Amino acid sequence: MKRTLIATAVASVLLGIAGCETAPESDALLEQARTSVAQAQADPNVSKYAPTELDRARKLLINAESSAKQKGAKDKTAAHYAYLTTQMARIAEQRAQEQVATARIKSGEIERKEILLTARESDADRALAQARTAQSQAEQARSDAQSSRAQTLQAQTLQAQAESERLAKELENMQASLTARGIVLTLDDVLFDTGKAQLKAGAQRSLDQIAAFLSENPERRVQVEGFTDAQGTNDYNLELSQSRADAVAMAIIQRGIDAQRVRALGYGEEFPVASNAVAGSRQLNRRVEIIVSNSDQAIPGRAGSGAP
Amino acid sequence: MITLNGIRNAVWCAIAFGIVACASTPMPVEKLAVAKTSIERAEQAQAAQFAQIELTSARNKYAAAQAAADKHDAEVAARMADQADIDAQLAESTARAKQQQQLVNEMDAGLRDLRKETLRDKPGAGAQAPQPATTAPPQP
Repeated sequence: MKRTLIATAVASVLLGIAGCETAPESDALLEQARTSVAQAQADPNVSKYAPTELDRARKLLINAESSAKQKGAKDKTAAHYAYLTTQMARIAEQRAQEQVATARIKSGEIERKEILLTARESDADRALAQARTAQSQAEQARSDAQSSRAQTLQAQTLQAQAESERLAKELENMQASLTARGIVLTLDDVLFDTGKAQLKAGAQRSLDQIAAFLSENPERRVQVEGFTDAQGTNDYNLELSQSRADAVAMAIIQRGIDAQRVRALGYGEEFPVASNAVAGSRQLNRRVEIIVSNSDQAIPGRAGSGAP
Repeated sequence: MITLNGIRNAVWCAIAFGIVACASTPMPVEKLAVAKTSIERAEQAQAAQFAQIELTSARNKYAAAQAAADKHDAEVAARMADQADIDAQLAESTARAKQQQQLVNEMDAGLRDLRKETLRDKPGAGAQAPQPATTAPPQP
């Protein structure tokens, strides 16, 4: 009988423990509920994304508090509401986290598009830059080529000019004068012995220069004209002038100039350049003129008699 | 020994008991149904994987609520059903939040890779681009 009583007591104690569905420390549960709601309220994301759940948690907390006030903190109803409050506060936080994540995914999508766009733009920029570089390189190359060609041309022109100037200067030294018929060079009689058609050595240099000029200007022709003063007979003078012109022409031909380009004419005492009355000026009339054509055309003849 | 009186008394007793039981504590059928729906929603939200503790708690409390209802303990059944419901709701929202966060993490990793790739392609940035892993960007 006694044993049965003890067994019943133990069983009822066990049953009593089992019967308490929540932990009996409703004080702790209530405290936890308060903390949970405070925590949820402190999170700006919760009031932003889960205001309904937060409001429910607050109301549940009020229920828990009033139950605890009315029936004592150990009351099952108070503990129950405290538990619901805590869970609702946690739900509010989870909802808020979910919404934050959703927002982040949306902004991430935009970010992704921007990155791709930027990448594409930078690809395009790079292609454009490459194209521009290539173009500028091409232009540079072209302008280089042009400038080098121009430089070459300029150099050639300068060289030609210098050569012409040099030749002109040389010819000038030989008393060259530019006329409509061409460049006229005058070799005076000091290059010939009196009454002779033999060229003296002093003429060699002048003739070398003329020959060089003619070989550098192959289109030009040359005409050698001989003159005398009025002393002596006309026939003699004509013959002498012709002989001297021939001698000069031959000297030019001997220097490698085609005979086709060289013509020799004797004018005798015609076309005097000075008076034959005075010995000093008579000397000026004794001369050989070498006319170098301006072009490949034949040199026009002298006006007046004696012209061929 | 069973008299007619005895039977009559027993019937009256039974009727009286039944009336008392039905009137004072109606079983929280609706609360149980609500809790059941919430648990199903949580299961659909993959709470078994992402909020196992909360879902298990909800299931246990639902079972306790049913057990209480079977024992005609309406008060306990109602409380257990309410708690099962809110546990299931927490399981569902936790599972959803965790899955969404997982998506965010995957997306962030993808963006990091994408940024690395596009940076590496850029001329001039190529020298620094191959080893940006040394300074890992802060995780959110």
